[in-house]
Amino acid sequence: MSAGPTVGRRTISRRRLLLVAGAAGIGVAASPWSPKALAATDDDLAYANFGLASSFLLADYYGRALQAGRLGPAARPTLQRGRSASTLQARALSGLLTGAGDTPATAEDFEFVFPAASLATAAAIRRTGLTLLNATRGAYQSASATTSESSYRVLFASLAASVAEQVGALAPPGAGVESFPAALELETASAALEAYLG
Amino acid sequence: MRNRLTPLLAALLVGVTAVAGASARSEATPPLTIYAAASLTEVFRAFDGAQTYSFAGSNALETQIRNGAPADIFASAAPLNTQRLFRAGIVEKPVTFTANRLALIVPKSNPAGIRTIYDLRTKPVKLVVAAPAVPVGAYTLTVLRKMGLSSVLSKVVSRESDVKAVTGKVALGQADAGFVYVTDARPVSDQVTVVRIPAWAQPRVRYEIAVVARSTNKTAARAWINAILSPRGQTALRNAGFLPVPKSST
Repeated sequence: MSAGPTVGRRTISRRRLLLVAGAAGIGVAASPWSPKALAATDDDLAYANFGLASSFLLADYYGRALQAGRLGPAARPTLQRGRSASTLQARALSGLLTGAGDTPATAEDFEFVFPAASLATAAAIRRTGLTLLNATRGAYQSASATTSESSYRVLFASLAASVAEQVGALAPPGAGVESFPAALELETASAALEAYLG
Repeated sequence: MRNRLTPLLAALLVGVTAVAGASARSEATPPLTIYAAASLTEVFRAFDGAQTYSFAGSNALETQIRNGAPADIFASAAPLNTQRLFRAGIVEKPVTFTANRLALIVPKSNPAGIRTIYDLRTKPVKLVVAAPAVPVGAYTLTVLRKMGLSSVLSKVVSRESDVKAVTGKVALGQADAGFVYVTDARPVSDQVTVVRIPAWAQPRVRYEIAVVARSTNKTAARAWINAILSPRGQTALRNAGFLPVPKSST
């Protein structure tokens, strides 16, 4: 079993991390990880709300990319794993928000908009995906740096890492590696996704 | 000559029939008294000008109906108000009939230089909102909380009793910015500029409608609600900028 992110002397598996955030919605998470015991700041909630919408958007994007079938059979597992990760991440963020006493959005609250050209060719599908993923990753990086609660920091850092993995998987063959991907202010990340969120 | 008279006679005949029909209708059924959220003012009047309306904040209307106001129908901008009356047996089972979104409006002259909602944080602004008990006031708090902008509430100079009062203050330049429904910005689009709120920060704005249990005109009230739920009613709402009933609400 692979080790997960670490906080203090505690090692958290990815499964546990998702469970912690996901369980908040049904109130079963045990102390000291019970999100109900955590004080979420306005900024924490803002990043979580943005991340939740982004996760729904990414799941929708992956679904459309799979349906379009333009990336070829070799890319199918990447798209399927991306969709699965996005769905799990939405569940985790939804749990965080519920635990903080908010009513999280659902996918039905959005009418995602993908201009025809954004999915017209294999290159366009990759470009669109990378736009969504880079904005989301940048916001998660900022979130992990600014949140005051260590559990949230770990969650946001894990989300940033997962989305960065997806960036690597979706990048065209031979694409370079960014040494220091930029963290983004929420306002900037939000503006990048605005056209797709409807 | 005969050809020119025929359309004229036909038009007269249609007019006479319409007047007779309207007269017969008004004798048969008195107008309904519809208590509706202030944000529905223009669209309800345009949809059916024959009824008697009382427009105000949904919370105020809820209180009036609870206290025995003679309403046949209650249309609220938030499920909270209709559901409370339903639980008390004061209205029949409410149905969701439309949805909306929030926007920030600024006067056309934009004296505070607001370009995005985040500018509220950094610029000196006279902000006007609705009171928290009014649906649009509660939705405003949700937006600010979702965006991490609750601190801008320190810039609020006035808390209004309904959304039209917020719209009016901004349109008249008495405030630099205010939170309203997108549908309220339309009628004053020559006086205000809309600053978009991101979709991820939007609250779930759902409108519910119900027949008031003590109405003496329940059959007509139910028919009216069916009319607003019909394709014609939904088209009227969409043309006014309201959103279709979300799938999750049906």
